Amino acid sequence: MIAEATLDPGLTAWLGAAILLIGEVIALLSLRNLTTLIIVSTVAEIGYIILGVGIGGTVGDTGAWMHVGYQTVMRGLVVITAWWLIHRTGSARLDDLAGSGRRMPWATALFAFGLFSVMGLSPFKGSFSKFLILYSAIEQGQWLLAAAGTLASIIAAFYYMRVIQRVCFEPPADASLQLRPEPTWLSILIAPLTGLTIVMSVWPEPFLHQAAAWAGVIQDVARVPEFESPWSLLVLLPYIGGFALYLIGLHTKMMRDLHAVLLAGATFALAVLETGLDPASHLFAVLFAGIGFLVVLYSWGYMSHGENANRYYFFVFLMIGSMLGLATAHEFGNFYVFWELMTWTSYFLVIHEQTPKALKAGFIYFLMCASGAYVMNFGILLMHAQAGSFEFAAITAAMPTINPAAGAIAALCFFVGFAVKAGFVPLHSWLPLAHPEAPSSISAPLSGILTKAGIFGLVKVLYVIFGAAALARFAESGLDVGMLIVVLGCLTLVYGEVMALFQKELKRMLAYSTLAQIGEIAAILGLGTSLATTASLLHVTNHAVMKTLLFFAAGAFILQSGRRQIADLAGLGRKMPFTAGCYALATVAIMGLPPFSGFISKFLMITAAAAEGRIDIAALILVGSVIAAFYYLRIVRLLFFHPYEGPEVQEAPVSMRAAIGLLAGLIVVGGVAPSLQLDAVAAVGNMVAAAGTLPPVELPNLTLVWPAATLIATLGAVAVWLVGKSSVVAAGRLAIAVVAASFVAVLLQADRYDSLSFAFALLVSGVGTLNMAYATGYMAHGHAQARFYAAFTLMMAGLMGMAGSHDFFNFFAFWELMSSWALYVALVHEETNDARREAFKYFIFNTVGASFMFLGIAMFGTAAGSFDFAAIADAAPQMTTPWFGGALVLVFVGMLMKAAMLPVRIDYQMHPATAPTPVSGYISAVLLKSGPYGVLKLFALFGGAALLDRLGVVSGMPLVMYAVAVIGGVTVMYAGAMAVVQNGIKRLLIYSTVCQLGYITMALALGTTLGVAGGLMHFVNHMMVKDLLFLCAGCIMVASHAKTLDELGGLGRKMPITFAIFLFAGLSLAGIPPLNGFSSKWLIYQASFQSGHYVLGIFALIGSLFTLAAILKFAHAAFMGAPGHAAEHAEEAPAIMLVPMMLLTAGCFVVGMMPGVLLVPIAAIQQQLGLTPIDATWMGPLPGTGGWHPGVLSVLLLVLGAVSWLYLRLGRAGAPIIRSPIHLCGVGTLSPAASHIGASNLYESSDAAIRGVLHAKYDTGYDPDDESGHAATPV
Amino acid sequence: MTELAYPLAVMLFPGGLFAIALGLALKGADRRFAARLQGRVGPPLMQPFYDLVKLARKRTMAPDIAALPVFLGAPVVGAVSMMLGAALVPIPGVYAPDPILGDLLVLLYLLAVPAVVLMVAGSASGSPFGAIGFSREMALMLAYEGPLVLVVAAVALRTGSFSLSDIVAYQQTHGAFLLDPVMWPALAAFVAFYPANLGIVPFDIPEAETEVLEGPLLEYSGPALGLFKLMSALKAVVVLSLGVTLFYPLAPEGLLGLVAHLAKLLVLMLLGVTVVRVSMGRMRIDQAFRFFLKWPLVLSLVSLAAVALA
Repeated sequence: MIAEATLDPGLTAWLGAAILLIGEVIALLSLRNLTTLIIVSTVAEIGYIILGVGIGGTVGDTGAWMHVGYQTVMRGLVVITAWWLIHRTGSARLDDLAGSGRRMPWATALFAFGLFSVMGLSPFKGSFSKFLILYSAIEQGQWLLAAAGTLASIIAAFYYMRVIQRVCFEPPADASLQLRPEPTWLSILIAPLTGLTIVMSVWPEPFLHQAAAWAGVIQDVARVPEFESPWSLLVLLPYIGGFALYLIGLHTKMMRDLHAVLLAGATFALAVLETGLDPASHLFAVLFAGIGFLVVLYSWGYMSHGENANRYYFFVFLMIGSMLGLATAHEFGNFYVFWELMTWTSYFLVIHEQTPKALKAGFIYFLMCASGAYVMNFGILLMHAQAGSFEFAAITAAMPTINPAAGAIAALCFFVGFAVKAGFVPLHSWLPLAHPEAPSSISAPLSGILTKAGIFGLVKVLYVIFGAAALARFAESGLDVGMLIVVLGCLTLVYGEVMALFQKELKRMLAYSTLAQIGEIAAILGLGTSLATTASLLHVTNHAVMKTLLFFAAGAFILQSGRRQIADLAGLGRKMPFTAGCYALATVAIMGLPPFSGFISKFLMITAAAAEGRIDIAALILVGSVIAAFYYLRIVRLLFFHPYEGPEVQEAPVSMRAAIGLLAGLIVVGGVAPSLQLDAVAAVGNMVAAAGTLPPVELPNLTLVWPAATLIATLGAVAVWLVGKSSVVAAGRLAIAVVAASFVAVLLQADRYDSLSFAFALLVSGVGTLNMAYATGYMAHGHAQARFYAAFTLMMAGLMGMAGSHDFFNFFAFWELMSSWALYVALVHEETNDARREAFKYFIFNTVGASFMFLGIAMFGTAAGSFDFAAIADAAPQMTTPWFGGALVLVFVGMLMKAAMLPVRIDYQMHPATAPTPVSGYISAVLLKSGPYGVLKLFALFGGAALLDRLGVVSGMPLVMYAVAVIGGVTVMYAGAMAVVQNGIKRLLIYSTVCQLGYITMALALGTTLGVAGGLMHFVNHMMVKDLLFLCAGCIMVASHAKTLDELGGLGRKMPITFAIFLFAGLSLAGIPPLNGFSSKWLIYQASFQSGHYVLGIFALIGSLFTLAAILKFAHAAFMGAPGHAAEHAEEAPAIMLVPMMLLTAGCFVVGMMPGVLLVPIAAIQQQLGLTPIDATWMGPLPGTGGWHPGVLSVLLLVLGAVSWLYLRLGRAGAPIIRSPIHLCGVGTLSPAASHIGASNLYESSDAAIRGVLHAKYDTGYDPDDESGHAATPV
Repeated sequence: MTELAYPLAVMLFPGGLFAIALGLALKGADRRFAARLQGRVGPPLMQPFYDLVKLARKRTMAPDIAALPVFLGAPVVGAVSMMLGAALVPIPGVYAPDPILGDLLVLLYLLAVPAVVLMVAGSASGSPFGAIGFSREMALMLAYEGPLVLVVAAVALRTGSFSLSDIVAYQQTHGAFLLDPVMWPALAAFVAFYPANLGIVPFDIPEAETEVLEGPLLEYSGPALGLFKLMSALKAVVVLSLGVTLFYPLAPEGLLGLVAHLAKLLVLMLLGVTVVRVSMGRMRIDQAFRFFLKWPLVLSLVSLAAVALA
């Protein structure tokens, strides 16, 4: 009939489109007056009908007729309810109608219902007829018309949402408004229209048939697309449950909450047990249901005092149901329905608190997501037009025949829809708005799973249904969606990280961090390989868990303390230890640190990027991680390492803690036993591979292998921490026992280590035991001792794990454990401003260093196809030179940074002086050696010089090793000179450490027999000697509370043992023969000169002089000279501190007399490393030309010394020594302190020269005004 | 017998008693010659021996605020280190040190020990003069040790060894470095070095008696002071012998060789030490510091570069 009109169909269609678009725009402009708005909007809708008729055809005509029917009923409902509202309010102005929701809840609800239906939001099927019209346009190739229709829908959505929000949710502008009486005649109409709308929404088929009949195409009705299929039980359960809960909630809160948890649990169980799904759907169904369950559990406590809890639970379950529907859909009809439902239900949760900000955020959220969905809808219809079906399987089957241009456009449409949801820049603006405004229980799933729905869409539609092969074919049309995902992912990553850095509000910061994480997921996903898919999906699951926890914890903070700003969180960790502890754990995990789940997925993502040769993406992710470390660690620091001020705060309710605790458990499990998760995501990866005809996933082995020693130390650290809650003394003893036990464990497991690593592990745990014993004395009156012991033990666990690793994955994981968060906790212990700043700085520096290494390791691992050391060594010769060289340099840079080489700004690289002394000493003496240890291990791994020669040769050495040696040599000079001008007690020692590490690095890098032997011997000597020096410094600090050398003087008489040990160790370090430190340096000098590196040798010789100057300065300023104030009350340290020092001294002495004690094992290590072993015997001299024996010299020295002593004491047959005042030119009133020449008065000329050349500052690194924290040391 | 060789070398000859006697005799000659240059009669040649005996008979004194073990240990270690050091330097044609005692590198660091013990002694005494002496000594050492290291490196690079015996042997076959123009800058640097190391004018800044009352030595008296005097005498032997070894170790075998060596030392002592110390004034520490970082450093670098290129 209308279809037979004589008008040109094309022209009619365009006329309809014009009316539609112009009408919608006018409607938008008449937003102030509801009456006008509805009238204009109705006219615009007529445009839609004309459009449908104009396009014609079976689908078009049917759609047009259906639209007439649907709009009549649904718009009728809108008109009637609007009339009702306007009538009772007495005004049609939107401003006056605002707040109707409070005044007339039922009528407003029905008004909203009507409007949502007219908009065609999926549950209300108003869209059904629109779909048909759009579909017919696409089917006939009238894409522009379809696009116009889509655009119109988006415009309409905008003003409908404005109206709904103003009328239904916003508070009334004029609270005193008197309502007019109800117009009874209107209420008669409302009920049937409402009923009819519901019926039409739930059972559209009869209306479809009727419309087809009117259109005269009933015989062709089969050509009309089937839009939906029945809902599965997994969806119905939460949906029906949601309604049931609402009803229960009207009666009893308690039962509602209980049943909510049960229902969510049942839904989760059902999702887990569901077998009929492909791996991708199953993975996401489990994820959605699992997080959903935790949200409900959390809400029990969180919503217990909240308003409108019934409505809240109702929408939570509807949202969970919708997401499950989305995950389990097997055709696009349902897929789209649930997509819209997901947006719609979550919208109500976002605006739950109905504040103006929440409403604004919700508005933008809804509008953006709905618009994205319309675009996606366009893609869906396009796919149907091409493939003739909505069924996923059918579309996949039809994929090879699809026109590339159409396919590319469809892919783009899908991408837009998903990208909005996932929050890709530039479609992200809803995300940072909605997260902070939603209740925290909702922010969590918004970040945790709703954004992931977008990722799910990308995986499912683009990589599973379309497949990588089809996408590649589409890309030939000039639109590469995979590329787009990568680029936008990178953009989102950078944007998110940078924005997060500047946030002042906790939840906003977390929201931006979500953007960043989504960005990295997308950047990897877009690579399109099966490994990339697996990696990004692993991160999807991990991020869901981690970010949910973070938002939950943030919610708990806000709920309990009312503090939303980051700066206000100071010290809250002391009041809410469980919540904040879990928050910190998730923080560590999300920074990608082991042994937590985030590390595994980050590792896999970096690997996936490297495997595709995309070093740029991997590097970008690492840069992002460094930025993230800034803003994440800042909060942990505030929570735990600042004092709390303010009113008393309680821990969060049990159910909230339970949810948080469960998530924390998942993070730990995901880190130490990731296989279950990996299997699940790898199945998806394989599916993607199958769809794209790619090779299946080959996952590297990502399981942490815990050597017994590491396991003991790790579990021991936890035990120490727990024991510390009841007794710190017991915790201290336990800590000593744990470290000693791990020493024994290393001995018992000797066969799992190579000789080098075995020796390293023994030293780590051996020196560790001594330092831990010392620490229990040092810390005896300090605060939070158990925390310190635990962190310290954990550091050692990392070191031992590193030594016990057989592959790069484990090596790196334990490297990170050793040098990241455990280290930070130990360093920040004093909680002064200085300690916080310096520890933070060092943490960031370590993160940067580790990132270099990370990238290098990923390059090695992907090129070799395995992270196993042996496999990499085997594969190394086949790697291209740039790749191999790049990887090697990156790993070396990481290791050198750890050892504080690279003399650019050593003060940035050095571990902070503010740390408690036992740990400072340990870091200097032991931990930093992991750098040189790694360099040597790598050098040997690649078979010594042979392979490294590929990268160039300089003066008979591989270029890389030559560079390392030169860096070491320059560092010797630079750090040595810097040590001379320091005045801080520990800063001086730390600079000296860097200097000595330079010796070790340089010698090892020489790679000759003598060089490696000298380096390793100095490695051990310095370990003992520098540890001793630090421990002496600790004794001074305990006795004096001083931080700088200028505060000291004359302590030697009060602390003779400490002084003797210091002088012995110091002179040994300075290389005074015949002490042990000289022996190893002698080897290094010989090695440098013998290998022809004279300049390095000269550096080494002069470096000793600097060390001597620094040590004598320290010795003078602290122990000798005139006694200062500090010396008055000083006394010798307790036995628990002195005994470890004496043991170390004995060790030094033995090595000094019999260098063979070290050299024989070193020869064995060299043998195993494939180097020519040094010629050494237990009792024999040092090797090399000459064969000098320090023991002989020592004995002769002692004999001659005894003779000279006789001369000294023979005078007057050993008469008592006369003690007299010092000569002060007759001045008798000068106090000893006043005549003391302090540290800063020494070496004037050389001091000035060094400062001048090196631009060293006068500042000692201590903030004299900083008295806020705890005293540096106990009394 | 070989087991006894190096203990004897250390205790009797050329270290130990021989070195003590030689050192004290050289000191006596120095004092006598200096007196003559200044128009005085001067003490007898044996005066340093008498001084030691006299000091041994005094009671030991120590400041009440001194760290006593270190205060008294320092002179012992200092004296002993130089007795050992004397056994490390060859006497061309007469004595070649056993490698087990050490090479040029060991000697180089052993030579630092007297300076170290002086610094420690000054510091341990508790006296501000001692501390100033210590500070000056270290500053001076930081300045002169660099050129010395470079000189040593140049010699080692030239001969290809750090063994003192090898260095002697090399010059015996290739000619003395004294006559080798390439080594002249190094020689000049060495000449600048040893007055500083021996603590004589113009570089006696750490112990300057007119400024800091002998600095580190101020609080010493009796046998402890005697040991320091002994150390100083021994050090002269070691440093001058080292100079001979590095630059002119040519001498006949046997007793004639020993005579030649003693003659060289005497000439060096009188010309290189006595004449210098009586004819010059003392520098300030900053002047000395700058001096060493300017001339000797550059000279030794020139030699090293020349050797490396040759």
